[in-house]
Amino acid sequence: MVNLTIDGKQVAVEKDATIYDAAKACGIKIPILCHDKKLHPFGGCRMCLVEVEQMKGRLIPSCTTPVTEGMIVQTTTDEIVKARKLVLELLLLKHPIDCPVCDAAGDCDLQNLTYEYKVNMNRFVDEKFNHEIDYENPLIERDMNRCIHCGKCARICDEIVSYGAYTFINRGIEAKMGTEFDGPLNCEFCGSCVSVCPVGALNSRPFKFKARWWALQKTKSVCSYCGTGCQLTLGSKDGKVLTTIYDENQGFHNGQLCTRGRFGYQFVNSDKRLTAPLIRKNGKLQEATWEEALAEVTSRLSAGKSDPASVAALATPRLTNEELFLFEKLFRGTVGTDNIDHSAGFAHEALTKGAVASFGVAASPAEIADVQKSKLLLVVKSDAYETHPVIGFEINLGVKRKGIALRIVSDKKGKLTRLPGAKTTVHAPGSEVALFNALCKSVIDQGLAVEGVAGLDALKAAVADASAEKAGVTAEEIAALAKDFASAEKALIILPIGQGYPGHNAALANAAANLAILTGQVGKEGAGLLIMGEKNNSQGAVDMGIYPKGTGLNAAAILDGCANGNVKTLFVAGENPVVSYPNRKKVEKALENVEFMVVSDLFLTETAAMADVVLPACSFAEKSGTFTSLGRRVQNVRKAIPAVGLAKSDFEILNAISQALGGAGYNNQGEVFTEIAATVPAYKGLTQACLKDEGAVYPVALSAKLVPVAAKAAAPAAGKLALVTGSALYHCGTMSRFGEGPMYVCPDAYAELNVADAAALKIGEGDQVTVTSGTGAVQVAVKVGKRVPQGVVFSPYHFGEGSVNTITDGSEVTYVTVAKK
Amino acid sequence: MSNAPAEEIPAEEIDLTEANEIIDKYLTLPGNLMPVLQGIQDAYGFVPKPTIDLVAERLNVYPSQIYGVLTFYAQFHLKPRGKFIIRVCVGTACHVQGAERITETFFGRLGIGHAETTEDLRYTFEKVACLGACGMAPLAMVNDDTYGKMTVQKVDEIIETYNARPMK
Repeated sequence: MVNLTIDGKQVAVEKDATIYDAAKACGIKIPILCHDKKLHPFGGCRMCLVEVEQMKGRLIPSCTTPVTEGMIVQTTTDEIVKARKLVLELLLLKHPIDCPVCDAAGDCDLQNLTYEYKVNMNRFVDEKFNHEIDYENPLIERDMNRCIHCGKCARICDEIVSYGAYTFINRGIEAKMGTEFDGPLNCEFCGSCVSVCPVGALNSRPFKFKARWWALQKTKSVCSYCGTGCQLTLGSKDGKVLTTIYDENQGFHNGQLCTRGRFGYQFVNSDKRLTAPLIRKNGKLQEATWEEALAEVTSRLSAGKSDPASVAALATPRLTNEELFLFEKLFRGTVGTDNIDHSAGFAHEALTKGAVASFGVAASPAEIADVQKSKLLLVVKSDAYETHPVIGFEINLGVKRKGIALRIVSDKKGKLTRLPGAKTTVHAPGSEVALFNALCKSVIDQGLAVEGVAGLDALKAAVADASAEKAGVTAEEIAALAKDFASAEKALIILPIGQGYPGHNAALANAAANLAILTGQVGKEGAGLLIMGEKNNSQGAVDMGIYPKGTGLNAAAILDGCANGNVKTLFVAGENPVVSYPNRKKVEKALENVEFMVVSDLFLTETAAMADVVLPACSFAEKSGTFTSLGRRVQNVRKAIPAVGLAKSDFEILNAISQALGGAGYNNQGEVFTEIAATVPAYKGLTQACLKDEGAVYPVALSAKLVPVAAKAAAPAAGKLALVTGSALYHCGTMSRFGEGPMYVCPDAYAELNVADAAALKIGEGDQVTVTSGTGAVQVAVKVGKRVPQGVVFSPYHFGEGSVNTITDGSEVTYVTVAKK
Repeated sequence: MSNAPAEEIPAEEIDLTEANEIIDKYLTLPGNLMPVLQGIQDAYGFVPKPTIDLVAERLNVYPSQIYGVLTFYAQFHLKPRGKFIIRVCVGTACHVQGAERITETFFGRLGIGHAETTEDLRYTFEKVACLGACGMAPLAMVNDDTYGKMTVQKVDEIIETYNARPMK
């Protein structure tokens, strides 16, 4: 620790702190424009000048000057105030004083400092800038006339997002923040630049002219897209969520959000939201009262109690823990059916079955904080970044700042593969298990396995004939990767799972876990396996037991049951099987056949449109409760706005049904959480009050063992391309289609082809093609690039039109033909 | 000149072989961006957009950063340049000897202004701050040829001389 004196106060701080950090630590505010705690110090704005007794004769920038023992610092002398006023005058010289129409007014550091330092006149005169304003994209407006050259946008885009959309261009008086070729902004639109801009140079266009900052009600909550569990602050007014507000002190991610979190909130107030219950009468869904709708549902479920096997229920892992707990209690307890599941069971088996078999718990042994504590990250599928972008930022930070080694095994390349020192092993589609088995074999052959691991002999036997070739990679690559992984001080495997990833199931989780366990990379900080659930509460759904137990049917079997008449009543809470489960035709047939289907959802989804009763549900912004992140962090979700129309939260819906069926009733979701804390072992002792803003990571007790799994051999089909499905950065499940932001950037389904394949098929960028498999055909536009290897075609699964589940059947790889329409 | 936006040239019109060879030469060296860009400029006469994309991809540098570098240094050019670069000194010594009239005459004769290139790509004209030969003021240079004690008549002679030179 270093001791120094700031404004007469004694301060002790870490030796790598700057004067600015030290002042902040003891509550002394130094004004600054170019600083953000996530970014490297820049020292560009000159607002944070201070006096240091040992460095007399000049003013010192506090944000770039490290503390030294015995330093005596003054932060507000007459001379300092004069210097700061000069800085402000010079900034205001070129800066337009258009605060009345500037969206940053009230949230503008320059405006606030001008006020604080009473700069009400300027001794200098110059022309204002006359840069053209960039309105080219619908999300971010760039008005470089208001720019103060703090460089925060360029720095965050480079240091954290790793996209590098911005740079300083030109020089001297001509210098400005620009983009490549000084063109319009063309990036992934995460809005990080908007969030850190201290003035109104970068604005969120969806928020433009919606409200003044001071009129916004701010509610801290949790993002409802992916499983990362980013905290966010919702800015709302008049019952509408108008924006998300940046707070550099919020969450493990320091307020950083991806494009979905930043610009995807509009689904909450979408005019497509369901506002009243619907009942099918004469073949048509017609508006009804809640009493009618609930009476219909409860009478069906009540009848089902005498034949519980004929009742099934699917829940989306987007519900709160309290709602999922109630869901489980209602169907498994009160109705008495074990036919409950979430997200098709398919990929989520990695948690419910895979993790249990390998680690003895249905959760990842690692947490998100381990990403930056590791020495080597092994990322499965390059698009771990696309499914969980903020974890991608954590990976970026770890690799760039801490020199963490990055290894990727994927069937295609992505942004992560371009990080410094990253090595990507591109394997054949669907051969992930074969690849991990080959890695395990290589570890054993190289004598790198930890002695005495449970199940070693069985694993040795199981991987005896594993080979690199089966995964489509070279033996050298496997040997090198196995050696790097095993010999790293701490190595962490990052495994994304989700509905779009057929084959990312229990077997893959076991295969990956085997590598971690075999090399001793488990049970310590910065090591292990991070199984990244796709949805915001995937982990919570597992913790609340939303999967079949005993003889219960899983989601696929439930649909079979609907098709063959065994399942007569189906309750769907927020799921959209028609678009997200494999083999759309089969799903549609099954749902058409089921006698009675009730869907609670925010929107009239493709599935809801087929229901007999549709219940309008609340979004995350309209209710309170908890979500559990993929890193096992239980976090508070807080109600920001009243329910839209007549919508009710799933808690209210399930609670009403439960009471009508003679089950338990609760006065509020808080009572349910108390019961969760009393009955779910991992949540023992938690209270919603003690979760506060930061939430709590629940502990896991591991009993790791090797679980041999056989690799399925994917049989390539001659003349066909291997279809790899997955997630597009801008989307998450099918809900993001109702967010204006994601839809502006990525509105339609597409198929991504390698340049060589595209040339051979005479297909060009943007061409419409028909992709045909054994189960159907779909028409999509084509993207051509080098991301996907030859012989592979990638398509995201989120879309209703051109829905890729028309052509997939749930197997690891679907072989397709692609032809120009 | 360096502030001008990059010329839109379709990728197929640029042969990237030479650019690739230049990148190969420096690929593994630290700090390779500047020599690569200089090499490309030497080879192509300016830095065409497709080469920027190529350098970005092969050196794993953001295209925006390359653009930042190219617009920072006066030595780089993003537009095709003339075969003959005419520089007229407007430093103090030349200024008092009537450099302004010399530049005006060139503007009139060539039909282009400062940092502009004739449509036939024969001439690029630049006003420069000092050419370091104040004793010969006012001074002009065409590529490496120096012309001292410039007069309006000499402007016409220079243009005649270089009009007569072959383009290839």
